[in-house]
Amino acid sequence: MGTNARQRQVFILSALLIPTALLIAFVVVPGLDLFRLSATNWDGLAPDYDYIGLDNYKKMFQDGNLWLSLRNNMVYFFLHLLMIPVELAFAVVLNSKMRGAKFYKTMVFLPYIINGVAVSYAFSYFFSPVNGAMDALLAALGLEELQQSWLSNPSIVNFTLAFVSLWRFSGYHVILFLAALQSMPQDIMEAAQIDGASSWQLFRHIQVPSIMLMVDFVLFDNIRGALQVFDIPFILTNGGPGYASSTFTLYTINTAFKFSNFGLAATMAVAIMFMIVLIYLVQNVLIHKVLLKEGRR
Amino acid sequence: MRRFSLTVALVLVSIAALFAAGGSETTSDPMSGTITFAIWDNNLNAFIEENDMVGKFQEVYPNAEIEVEKIKDDSEYWNSMRIRTSGGQLPDVMFNKPFTLARFQDYLLDLSGLEAASDNILAEGYAVDGKILGIPMTAGYEYVFYWKDLFEEAGVEVPTTWPEFVEVCKQLQDYYGAQDPDFIALGIGLKDEWPDYPFMEFMPSLINGEGDTWNVMATQDRPFEEGTDIRTAYERVYELFTSGVLGKDPLGLGNDQINNLFAAKKVAIFPSGDWSLQNIINAGADVSELGTFYLPVRMSTDEPYRVIVQGDSLMGVTTHSDNPELAKAFVEWFYSDAWYPDYLAYVSSSSSMASFPKEKDPILAESDAGCPDMELVTYGGAGDDFTAIQNETSFDYKKLGAQMLTEGFDLDATFEDLNTRWTEARAKLGIE
Repeated sequence: MGTNARQRQVFILSALLIPTALLIAFVVVPGLDLFRLSATNWDGLAPDYDYIGLDNYKKMFQDGNLWLSLRNNMVYFFLHLLMIPVELAFAVVLNSKMRGAKFYKTMVFLPYIINGVAVSYAFSYFFSPVNGAMDALLAALGLEELQQSWLSNPSIVNFTLAFVSLWRFSGYHVILFLAALQSMPQDIMEAAQIDGASSWQLFRHIQVPSIMLMVDFVLFDNIRGALQVFDIPFILTNGGPGYASSTFTLYTINTAFKFSNFGLAATMAVAIMFMIVLIYLVQNVLIHKVLLKEGRR
Repeated sequence: MRRFSLTVALVLVSIAALFAAGGSETTSDPMSGTITFAIWDNNLNAFIEENDMVGKFQEVYPNAEIEVEKIKDDSEYWNSMRIRTSGGQLPDVMFNKPFTLARFQDYLLDLSGLEAASDNILAEGYAVDGKILGIPMTAGYEYVFYWKDLFEEAGVEVPTTWPEFVEVCKQLQDYYGAQDPDFIALGIGLKDEWPDYPFMEFMPSLINGEGDTWNVMATQDRPFEEGTDIRTAYERVYELFTSGVLGKDPLGLGNDQINNLFAAKKVAIFPSGDWSLQNIINAGADVSELGTFYLPVRMSTDEPYRVIVQGDSLMGVTTHSDNPELAKAFVEWFYSDAWYPDYLAYVSSSSSMASFPKEKDPILAESDAGCPDMELVTYGGAGDDFTAIQNETSFDYKKLGAQMLTEGFDLDATFEDLNTRWTEARAKLGIE
């Protein structure tokens, strides 16, 4: 074997082994350790702990406030899900040769690059019951009867927070869709246009199937983001009033750091991992098999 | 093959050199080396940088180096310290609050022999099994800030009992609320939950005059039973919070917003720590009409007027320190004439050192003038047992204060639920 061939082998082996070793060290091992920790009563400080079997899992299922928090996550999930077609439509419009498209693209993406903590802090003043911009805006439009306790009414607080989340993340989805649309080969579109396809037919039968991989990614990102939402409720309401706007991750973090129960928090982390996979599988079946009536892919 | 052997040899030599270099730092002088000092306080950080703390320390210990680690805020500080504890990587010198001392007690060295500890007026009160594990940097008092001109116009006097305090709040809300629906008589940033601590954390101790209420609770099966100090305190708080004196949307505003509204005189009364004075001034308030008094919790003037004081920022040396002698020397130096008096002059908090008394800001001193017969209660924080029960039951007294204002909240049912969970937790944890 020549020197070049040996060097190539060494390069290929290192290029495979190093990432695999890093993946095992920083993802697989900690992931497996999470399962081990979920069977302990570790308080996050003590050098030793006891194995308590499935006690944490039982406790987790009996914790009403945790499941109330999960229900709050669902508000984020469904509102973001409803917005995905709108985001896709925005991307299609921005992809067309419209005047000022670059400006709109920048404006749409801007909320995503602003620091999340700063966004949440600014919105806490926007929705403030005293001198709040939202109420002032409604008053200026003569809609005083629509003024609300945006951050303290348990019936609407999650919708307020989900709105902030939409404001921040929708632009990110639009840009992802736009990138996928721009990477499509134009000859298919042109051929369809020559054959007389309408804008809707182009969108439904060419653009959407062509960017389905990105749609799947955005749908998955929506599940992951909705179940792991933390910074917006943490800063805007601290999960309150009571647990009315708490989320699964916020509750998990409080369990670990406020109440020193790392074992139980690890159990919740395991649960959220499984929930993300489960919801993704169900959503995939609903969208691909039921909604789009696709055959075996 | 020869090239490979050469490479291996080079690597081995490099490793040996590294070890040798590391080893050379270890000298026989215990006052040499590097110590890490972890802080969260922005004011302390600014003062350290502006006044070259490291340089001044090196004038006394020329072979020493200090690495100051500034952590974003105190919540992040505790999270970070917890993670570092499990990794055996605590800094040489760390701070504690009275409520975190029990959590880290196994990782702190006894500082009883230090002059700084014996000169500190509060350190003894926080000793664990006779060991001083942290030396309070300042003495923290709780005040009720108020606007004198608003009181005068509404025709109310500074209250000296709890019923008077409730009445004053109601009168202010009625008087100013009629003109301005956004007006708040008693400003507490309940959206953040923690700002209710003068009531939810300290009031039980102010009622019974004992600083270790939490630890007493840990010895009881049903501490929320009718007639207990904590229940009495929370019943009074509930009555006050639900009387409408917190404004139209008390759960919609956080501490920063309340602070700014108070500075703009849209809030008449603002209970908080001495540290808030600086924030009120920073918010642009004209403080010529600003006054303070201590929160009166007594039901009549026949009872003593109790005032809470707590040691704040308890400085300790950790068991993970490689240079414990140097770390102790740093603590000693920090509280000496070379550093502490200048720092004390920089902050609004009071001195915790007998050798360096500090005159209070005139606005804060008004509270002392209006309360000559006060009885000081040193807040002791929580011990091991209470912390364990609190973790098991998820008892969050600051959240409870905010929950009192939520729709459908039932105080009696909450007490009953807490009693049940408390009993179960004590049994499970085997606490006698």
